[in-house]
Amino acid sequence: MEEFFQQLTNGLAVGAIYALIALGYTMVYGVLKLINFAHGELFTIGSYLGLTLLTSLGLSDVFGPVLAILLLAAMVMGLVAVVGALLERTAYRPLRESPRLSAVVSALGASIFFQNAVMLIYGARLRVYPLGILPRTAVNLFGIYLPLVKLLILFASVAIMTALYLYIHKTRIGTAIRAAAIDQGAARLMGIDVDRVILIVFLIGPALGGAAGLMVGLLYGQINFTMGWVYGLKAFTAAILGGIGNIPGAMVGGILLGVIEAMGAAYISIAWKDAIAFVVLILILIVRPTGLLGERVAEKV
Amino acid sequence: MRKILFFTAAFCLIAATTFGASTIKIGLMAPLTGPWASEGQDMKQIVELLAGELNEHGGLLGKKVEVISADDGGDPKTAALAAQKLVTQDVVGAIGTYGSSITEASQNIYDESKVIQIANGSTAVRLTAKGLKYFFRTSPRDDEQGRVGVQALEKFGYKNVAILHDNTTYAKGLAEEARALLEKKNVNIVFYDALTPGERDYTAILTKMKSARPDGVFFTGYYPECGLLLRQKKEMNWNVPFLGGDANNNPDLIKIAGTDAAEGFYFLSPPVPQDLPSREASDFLKAYKKKYGTTPGSIWAVLSGDGFRVLTAAIKATGSTDSDKVADYLHNKLKNYPGLTGTISFDDKGDRVGEVYRVYRVNAKGEFILQP
Repeated sequence: MEEFFQQLTNGLAVGAIYALIALGYTMVYGVLKLINFAHGELFTIGSYLGLTLLTSLGLSDVFGPVLAILLLAAMVMGLVAVVGALLERTAYRPLRESPRLSAVVSALGASIFFQNAVMLIYGARLRVYPLGILPRTAVNLFGIYLPLVKLLILFASVAIMTALYLYIHKTRIGTAIRAAAIDQGAARLMGIDVDRVILIVFLIGPALGGAAGLMVGLLYGQINFTMGWVYGLKAFTAAILGGIGNIPGAMVGGILLGVIEAMGAAYISIAWKDAIAFVVLILILIVRPTGLLGERVAEKV
Repeated sequence: MRKILFFTAAFCLIAATTFGASTIKIGLMAPLTGPWASEGQDMKQIVELLAGELNEHGGLLGKKVEVISADDGGDPKTAALAAQKLVTQDVVGAIGTYGSSITEASQNIYDESKVIQIANGSTAVRLTAKGLKYFFRTSPRDDEQGRVGVQALEKFGYKNVAILHDNTTYAKGLAEEARALLEKKNVNIVFYDALTPGERDYTAILTKMKSARPDGVFFTGYYPECGLLLRQKKEMNWNVPFLGGDANNNPDLIKIAGTDAAEGFYFLSPPVPQDLPSREASDFLKAYKKKYGTTPGSIWAVLSGDGFRVLTAAIKATGSTDSDKVADYLHNKLKNYPGLTGTISFDDKGDRVGEVYRVYRVNAKGEFILQP
């Protein structure tokens, strides 16, 4: 039983990060019906920018660790959001009226471009976040071992996701995003600036991806320029699992995928972990072709 | 028809290398991009350094040596393209490459074109079991590593051992080798499984492994994953000793794990150049440091330098760039050649002869210490 809960917490921590990245895929898909294949690379950029800012600015000496991490997160999210907006402007907006396939090819191209740009700027060797930024204490709850950092990251991602959910559902801009997701033409007729909505989506999605990149750097230490691919693939799967285009779906899908992976590794086979996760995905898609939450919620985004 | 085409192509190739070329071209196939790019970049630097030195001393057979690099991306499909690229550029021989499955994808391409291939990091046993006449390797074989690894595990006195690999050709081969040897010696294998390389979170695996209660863990995969395993194991307060395979001989391991988590980690490796007393090794290290400002990252890159050195030595000794003559010289006449990583001889299969592996331990400062 102890092992079960230990594996559950392992899965939750991994899943929370998948969920954060999945949100970026799902928001873009909701509005543009485009799978932003470069999203995994935005995640990588987030973790590299985090490393650069962390080592060059020395924030934790001035502000103390907690405030420093918050400031760092804000800066990384802001910068990655700018990269995301530039990506939209250069790679996707000129193709807005073209067939959908052109935009997908453009997305793949952007992904290759970003990956190699990171390699050329930072080098091919893997990079490591300095140790000891976050406290390495662990909480022991009834024999279940919970590192404090993992708990914090779990809480942080849940907080970010809740904030996003409220933003989409309670604000004017959020309403505009939802309207554009349902029907761009009608939204435009209602006086909504769809280009601006898309820009906002490309600010929020990449910012969340960047935050996830920073978290991975802080939690696991090791980053390299190819890491976006694995995380991107997993997060994309999570988005599909939860129902792509649907925000709570991405959160549920991400966390579920993390837990399925941990449980599959624990009770079936580690080597078959990914296969198990994908079998579950296929089974869910057979029963619910639009994903777990894809149908129940009428409004998309 | 195909035969005629093949012979015409082969003839053109030989004709071009013997009459047309004003330089002697030597190919380097290395993972210049992709997950092992850091190793590949190092290989390129080393081979270019050695070629530069050779050219300063008058070149080879009165000609300059030209190194042509091709990127295999650490990927079998890309490797096949890289090999084809090198073959069409009329290289005499090709150095490379690192991963066994990557080398395997290129072996037949070189063999069909009669181009000598000297792999530098590919340790899977079966690569030399195919009877390929032009294939050599400066790296040792997995079965030797398995033997030395099992010796070490026995010496540590472990009764219950966990084995973890990463499903690559190399890591799986080594894990199977070690498992077979340990079972013969009545050691319990309490855990045997594979992780997925390239991930960040291995706590699920560690939790499962911990519940099997091993005395020691033998991890046969690569350093990026091993560093994370050591770090996450430390964060779990689990103090089981780890023994790693030779792909862990990389200073980045310490950076990933952190010195405190890496201390006490044992791994198998051919001796690093710093631990070799020979004059060739120290001269090489000095020259490398002078040109690039650091020391080579790992032994595998240095082994590509040895591949270059034996190939050029064979061309010099035979006075010819004919693949058959050079291959014959490497198989039969090259004995105890002073390489950067110790003396080099090849057997009739193209394997390097002699005990190469040593056991290293990471000390409290994160340095790799050769164990007696």
